[in-house]
Amino acid sequence: MKPVSVLFIVFTLALLGFSTYQALVVAPTEQTMGEVQRIFYYHAPTAWVAGLCFFANFLASVAYLLRRNSNADALAAASAEVGVVFCTIVLITGPIWARPVWGIWWTWDARLTTTLVLWLIYVGYLILRRFATGSQTQTLAAVVAIFGFVDVPIVYMSIRWFRTQHPSPVIGGGENSGLDPAMWHAFLWNLLAFTCVGIIFVTARYRLQKLEDQVEAEHARLALERSMR
Amino acid sequence: MTGLVALKAAYTVTWIIPLLYLRYLLTRYRRVRHEMKDLKRSS
Repeated sequence: MKPVSVLFIVFTLALLGFSTYQALVVAPTEQTMGEVQRIFYYHAPTAWVAGLCFFANFLASVAYLLRRNSNADALAAASAEVGVVFCTIVLITGPIWARPVWGIWWTWDARLTTTLVLWLIYVGYLILRRFATGSQTQTLAAVVAIFGFVDVPIVYMSIRWFRTQHPSPVIGGGENSGLDPAMWHAFLWNLLAFTCVGIIFVTARYRLQKLEDQVEAEHARLALERSMR
Repeated sequence: MTGLVALKAAYTVTWIIPLLYLRYLLTRYRRVRHEMKDLKRSS
């Protein structure tokens, strides 16, 4: 591992410790919901990282279709997988927050439903990559990714377009929205920390994908050699 | 479920899932490295 990678991992771990302290200790307790509101400091940043990963997947898929570049394909695979991991956290922490606040685990409102659909789209994408055979798999995956990404802005806008049970946006949500400055600090530290975790995961998964591609190419080369003997 | 229990549960989930994913990546990485070594040896 390169020294710069080790430094980045150490920095991220320190940042995670600090941001956790900010979320659980420093940030003031919300008056209406109480302690459970602190879930927001994990729920929203993980949703942000999932969105970023799916955006990276979209860009990489477009790049792959334009240039047929294996690096772009590897990035698409890596970012989709990490995006699904973070989206899973969002879909679990959301209902854990909802149970004490709403009295129910789940409701089919626009934000929740579109997020579940998003998760299903990218799980489908990963299944396609894993099990499809043939030379067109990467192209097919790229096309699915581009269509699948359409759901990301729908998820983001769902609480603005529709009346939902999900809380209204606290960031960029209009005049009466916003956070207490101490809450803002905790939120931004967590956003930064989880973004760094996302970058580490995507980088690690990207390197793994490149290694797997090398192994596959080596298998093909050996098979060709054997058939020529 | 009280607020504090929910907070602890959400916090645990937020860390367990990435840790499991990290373990999965490391296992897969070791397997691929091993496979690469075997392939180089056989060629």
